[in-house]
Amino acid sequence: MSTVNDKAIEHDPQQLHDDLHEIWGNPKGLKSLTIVNHTTLGLRFMVTGMVFFLIGGILAMLIRTQLAMPDQDFMSPDIYNQVTTMHGTVMMFLFAIPMLEGLAIYMIPKMIGARDLVCPRLTSLGYWCYLFGGIILMSSLVLEMAPSSGWFMYTPLSSSEFSPGLGSDFWLLGITFVEISALSAGVEIVVSILRTRTQGMALHKMPLFAWYILAMALMIVVGFPPLILASVLLELERAVGMPFFEVAAGGDPILWQHLFWLFGHPEVYIIFLPAAGIVSTLIPVFAGRPIVGYGWVVFAIIVTGFISFGLWVHHMFTVGIPQLAQAFFSAASMLVAVPTAIQVFVWLATLWLGKPKMKLPMLWVMGFLIIFVCGGLTGVMLALVPFNWQVHDTHFVVAHMHYVLVGGMFFPLIAGLYYWLPLFSGRMPSENLGRWGFWLTFLGFNGTFLIMHWTGLLGMPRRIYTYDTGMGWDIYNLLSSVSSFVMSAGIAMVLLDIALHFRFGKPAKHNPWNADTLEWANTMPPSAYNFVSLPNIETRHPLWDDPNLPYTMAEGKHSLAVASHGRREMWGTDPITGKVREIIHLPGNSWWPLFAAAALAVVCISLLVRVYALAGIFVLIAGVFLLRWSWENGAHPSAAPEADVAPGDPPLHSRTMDGPGVWAMAIFLIANGSFFLSYLFGWFYLWTVSPEWSMPAVPPLSLSILAGAGIAVLAGYGVIAKLIRGLRQKRDAGLGTGFYLAGALGALQVALTGWALYGADLSPTQTTHDAIMLVGLIYALFHGGLAVILTVMQGLRVGYGYVGVHAPFEPAVVVQLWRYNVVTFWVLVGALAVLPRVVGG
Amino acid sequence: MTTLMERLRLTHPLHFVIGLTLWCIWFVAVYGGHAVACEAAAPAPDQGVFTLLNGGLLLVSLLTTAVLAALTWGCCQAVKQNQGRARFNAAVSAGLYLFSALSVVFVALPIIGVPPCL
Repeated sequence: MSTVNDKAIEHDPQQLHDDLHEIWGNPKGLKSLTIVNHTTLGLRFMVTGMVFFLIGGILAMLIRTQLAMPDQDFMSPDIYNQVTTMHGTVMMFLFAIPMLEGLAIYMIPKMIGARDLVCPRLTSLGYWCYLFGGIILMSSLVLEMAPSSGWFMYTPLSSSEFSPGLGSDFWLLGITFVEISALSAGVEIVVSILRTRTQGMALHKMPLFAWYILAMALMIVVGFPPLILASVLLELERAVGMPFFEVAAGGDPILWQHLFWLFGHPEVYIIFLPAAGIVSTLIPVFAGRPIVGYGWVVFAIIVTGFISFGLWVHHMFTVGIPQLAQAFFSAASMLVAVPTAIQVFVWLATLWLGKPKMKLPMLWVMGFLIIFVCGGLTGVMLALVPFNWQVHDTHFVVAHMHYVLVGGMFFPLIAGLYYWLPLFSGRMPSENLGRWGFWLTFLGFNGTFLIMHWTGLLGMPRRIYTYDTGMGWDIYNLLSSVSSFVMSAGIAMVLLDIALHFRFGKPAKHNPWNADTLEWANTMPPSAYNFVSLPNIETRHPLWDDPNLPYTMAEGKHSLAVASHGRREMWGTDPITGKVREIIHLPGNSWWPLFAAAALAVVCISLLVRVYALAGIFVLIAGVFLLRWSWENGAHPSAAPEADVAPGDPPLHSRTMDGPGVWAMAIFLIANGSFFLSYLFGWFYLWTVSPEWSMPAVPPLSLSILAGAGIAVLAGYGVIAKLIRGLRQKRDAGLGTGFYLAGALGALQVALTGWALYGADLSPTQTTHDAIMLVGLIYALFHGGLAVILTVMQGLRVGYGYVGVHAPFEPAVVVQLWRYNVVTFWVLVGALAVLPRVVGG
Repeated sequence: MTTLMERLRLTHPLHFVIGLTLWCIWFVAVYGGHAVACEAAAPAPDQGVFTLLNGGLLLVSLLTTAVLAALTWGCCQAVKQNQGRARFNAAVSAGLYLFSALSVVFVALPIIGVPPCL
């Protein structure tokens, strides 16, 4: 199917609206917990993020109060350490990323002409995991047992020897829980942007904001798993004594730093890119002309996304890495300035060639340009190894980081919030209050952090709870602290403005800024289904080229303006050309995401309090909830039992073999692969570098048993691949039996791997070698077990009539897991069982 | 050469990521190779930069640069031969391959001036 002509059918717009509302509308009361709609969940993400921002801001004020004058005892050293750790943690993990994800979740479907994200229940699961993880982490503050090892939790300070309480555990478990949320959003945003743009919207016609968010989401998918692995390893060390970071047992604390910064440096750009996307969206609108150099911006986004993964060691220049290796990372760190500079020049050129209107959002954009460029310049300074050594762990680094993160994320975020406020609420903000808010924030910010550069250059270390008056830092700290309160007053004014505008703001006219992108074709505030009909878009500026588009869309004059089937529908399009491929039908509201997240929260709490049996039970319960959720898909009665579509329309995605689930599984496996590669990095790193690493004289894993397991998983994959080939040729004879056979082969692989593990007689609490080997085998067992369960479920679904030639979609999803298992299992066998025999210890 | 470039379908957006992926692989290979070599068989410090290790790293870097430069050239040809979406994709890919090639050169420069393993 290539192009679906816009229907020239006359509709009663009000009737259409009512019908669509019946299908897409949100329930009220207790059932509002089941909502999966992206508009509602995007707002929930953002409101929750702002609450965490306020908490993080209060912690920042406590820090500045403590440091305002020398020899203060406003806070004890331990409480100060908890406050600084939690300030960084909250701002990075509970505010910056979820806030921007929330904005992306809210905005992306509206910008690309879709009605929702492609996996709505995953959006819901992500929100609940974020909320529960955040609450668990924040409860540590109330209990006065918050983590206190710094927001990057360096080992061995965060290990049980030096942090014996539960503080580090709160961090490790809470943050890992929140990261499930980030990964969920990352996966579905990637698939949504690639596969659900409205018809005609080819990749090179996509709004720039979508490019930025696509890069951000892919970076989350690749960048978060190293930290998840690091957190798992450290929690295993703390909870059961597996010594991954203990030198005496063969571990290395520097491994934590590598894994943390493999995540941590890309994270800076994960935060910056969507914010830059806001800037690239706003500047053309307020300059009244298309952006100069769309292609250059796409180029810069892609370069930033990749290069940011090659900089992590510049956070570790003082740990004793060879000079040549430092030079590699120093050079790479300078390179990232190139794409950033390209974007800055593109923005300036657009302003130069346009007729900029300095409305309130633009004030924040200008503040961003000034602050972020300064932060970028100090970043280039820090890329120079000798300078880095001099200012390492001083307030100079703190100042640089805040220039980059507050300038690079917070200012554009507020610009975006002001810009889209009329869309959220249908009302305009107060220009006066907003301008006061901006200037107080801008002046307060620079007063706080510009001065902090000098405090740092004078030698003041970061993370000290007080200082002696003879150090000469008194006046600078006092000025920083006073300015920080000015900034707080500015932020309070902005929040007041936003709160008041819901009641007192002037009603906004439609498309109040004369924007060019599709989100302004919505009603203000938007309906649950976004658009009554989905248009054909072949321009980068749909609303500039056709100002009547919002009205014709609302009148149902474009495609998919039908609700009689009772399904939530939108286009599935080609990722490159934007040509229509299928109709994607989405699931409705559901309790399963909330139940699954709640069960996972109990697992998290059980692990915290070391009640492992309860944790095990709730892992099973969470698994049951997730599998029950997956049951309601495809041809299931609650999904799309009938496959009827209007004449000329493409088929439903569940009746094809290339629906969004195939793509979602592929993206999930990229994240999984990143986790696996991080594990391999850890194995080889410790083997190569760790000073006390020792390989056993006799390799503990039986090569023959593992080879048997490898052949079993390969055979299982072969069976499923044959079934898939049959389905492609419209044959489903023996389909159910085939799935059961593949499941049996998978079970054989699991059993043999378990046998190899049992026979290895590992001592995972004695040596790092055994501990990390055990983690690798558990990884293989988990994946093997998961493949068995999903495959047997496919067999069952064939029996129920949910899978077959008429609905061939799901096997195409499951086969990818099998393919992944084959590759990772054999790589694991090579790394853990073959190489040690070949190379030796 | 021209036939090979045609087979690579340089107007496909997959080329947006191939150049920088090659850069990443090269970067990991050079950083990791250097680290492993230093652990396994570190050259004597008095050899300066004239070591087998630096030579090997330089060779890998030159080969990677050559591959990326060839792909840049191929994309530039594709820009001339196409219009619309295909031209846009080829142009962005050309820029990305060129940037990747220059990045290899820039990051590899210390190999000719800094001794390994110190």
